[in-house]
Amino acid sequence: MRISSLRLQLLAWVVLPLAGLATINLWTSHRSALATADLVTDRMLLGSARAIAEQVAIVDGVLDATVPPAAIEMFDTGDRDSVYYHVETAGGRLLTGYPDLPEDTRQPSVEAVYRDQALRLLTFSHAVVGAGPDSPITVTVGVTMAGHDAMVKRLWLSAFAQQLALVAIAGIFVLLGLRRGLAPLIRLRDAVRSPRRSDLDPIEVPGAQSEIRPLIDALNAYMERVRAQMAAQRRFIANAAHQLRTPLALLSTQASYALRETVPDARQEALVALQTSSGKLARLAEQLLTLSRAEPGSRRPRADHVDLTEAARHVLETHAPIAIGRNIDLGLEEAGPVPVIGDGTMLREMIVNLVDNALRYTRAGGSVTVKLAATDGEAVLTVDDDGPGIPADERDHVFERFYRIVGSTEEGSGLGLAIVREVVENAGGRVTLGDGATGGLVVEVKLPLA
Amino acid sequence: MRLLLVEDNRELADWLGKTLRQANYVVDVVHDGEDVEHALAAGDHALIILDLALPRMGGLEVLRMLRARGNAVPVIVLTANASLDGRVKGLNEGADDYLAKPFQIEELEARIRVQLRRANDRTAPVVACGDLVFDTNTRLFSLAGETLGLTPREHAVLEQLMVKAGRTVSKAALSAAIYDFETDADPSTIEIYVHRVRKKLEGSRVQIATLRGLGYLLRHED
Repeated sequence: MRISSLRLQLLAWVVLPLAGLATINLWTSHRSALATADLVTDRMLLGSARAIAEQVAIVDGVLDATVPPAAIEMFDTGDRDSVYYHVETAGGRLLTGYPDLPEDTRQPSVEAVYRDQALRLLTFSHAVVGAGPDSPITVTVGVTMAGHDAMVKRLWLSAFAQQLALVAIAGIFVLLGLRRGLAPLIRLRDAVRSPRRSDLDPIEVPGAQSEIRPLIDALNAYMERVRAQMAAQRRFIANAAHQLRTPLALLSTQASYALRETVPDARQEALVALQTSSGKLARLAEQLLTLSRAEPGSRRPRADHVDLTEAARHVLETHAPIAIGRNIDLGLEEAGPVPVIGDGTMLREMIVNLVDNALRYTRAGGSVTVKLAATDGEAVLTVDDDGPGIPADERDHVFERFYRIVGSTEEGSGLGLAIVREVVENAGGRVTLGDGATGGLVVEVKLPLA
Repeated sequence: MRLLLVEDNRELADWLGKTLRQANYVVDVVHDGEDVEHALAAGDHALIILDLALPRMGGLEVLRMLRARGNAVPVIVLTANASLDGRVKGLNEGADDYLAKPFQIEELEARIRVQLRRANDRTAPVVACGDLVFDTNTRLFSLAGETLGLTPREHAVLEQLMVKAGRTVSKAALSAAIYDFETDADPSTIEIYVHRVRKKLEGSRVQIATLRGLGYLLRHED
């Protein structure tokens, strides 16, 4: 299972190893409690055996063993232990006690089973003066394990409680520390989620640690980018709306004029002009749409194989009627296919705008030439016209959206070259303006060859 | 009434001019803020229709310049920027009215009439001199209840005299008010138009009196 909570993760990383260590510690402390209880019991057994042995003496020539009460009572720790003993001579004669009590053959003590009870046994040898062959006597004392076990439990339980408290306290501190440490993150979350944050102001989180600071900075930088993009979009939309108002006023004026005019010819003229205006307005709307599509991120990047020669030929064919109508010599100079990779629709739209511009600004009877070549690994498209050209100091500005040259009488939208630049740059190329051989404008587009 | 239309979009300027001429206004069109001064110096314009987005000299700047020189000609501002801020700015700079593009020509005409009425201290849309009546809404003259057929030039002459009813209008002032830049303003032709109007007013109690060395005066016999 994956733990996705930072709190649980950190808690697990601190508390689980700590609990493991505590378990090992408990095992060792259990062993040491056992050893302590063994030692204490053995000391008591030894003391008891010694006390019994010291009371064995020759009384009236007979070896007499009287068990002092203290030797038994010392085991009375309230755990209802039973004490068993026996005293034997060196020859194996029972002097007193339980005859069938097993003897401890090993030193110092052993655990045995007697009358279905676990016993801890100790056998002690003691020389009795004047006892002759009966000396030394052996005293065996055994005690049931209740006291011993109780001692182990007491010793071990206190260690257990200590360890448990340690782990619990560590866990609590981890949680408290996390709560404190995560507070700036929580504040950051609340700041981002706040319903008042409709604008994209930078977020400030006071008290944020140096680890969280980069996150906030990155977030703010990101919002700044989004804000800049939104501002650009807003400007564009405002500009577009603005640009649509004058043509709409023109349409409305022409329509009103036609409605009021009673002379058939004048009325006809107004209606024809109205039709032309609505065509221009449609073209403007189309260009606005193209421009919004040409913006990075607004259209899925495409990698069509496009033959620029073929595309240019198609555009020139569709524009031929306009050229013929204005007696403009529209020509194509090419030497075979010029393949490039890019968004086919946008590249064609780019050529449309170049040819459209050239035809628009070339006077009647002039000429417009579209040339295509593949040189030095680059596709080169040039559109050469006879128009007034663009003064050098205006050349940087004409690529800006809606930019119109002061004093220009031609009613262009100011979008054509903006579209051209956007499309060409998206396709990894560049566009430059130059002087034509006949004083007009030369637009040169260079794109990487496919 | 002679109007000055300042609009940089040539097509819109042309068609607005045509439409206003249809309504018997005399209209001069310039496309550039810098030409406004010359235009005003060359003619007597009763009102300016001013686009704000002009090359070289912006509309607001033109407005500021006019008002700074004490020129009180009514100005209706046309603009593609319909924001409240833009409107307030235009009005603060001395515009008399404000119209956002796109607009209906009827609204522009109504606003022109309001400004002209105001400029001539009139409140009623109908001006009368005896039994000669000029309806500023339909922009038609009627004499004793009958609509008076006038050519645009005759209309301009009579309108000018009517607006100044009771005051003398010099030949030069009449000329400045009725000819646009397209026409060679020959003051002697004024006499011809006045003569034609007089003929059309014959038989009524309204007449155009000539005051030698002063000009013309429209008056009616009681």
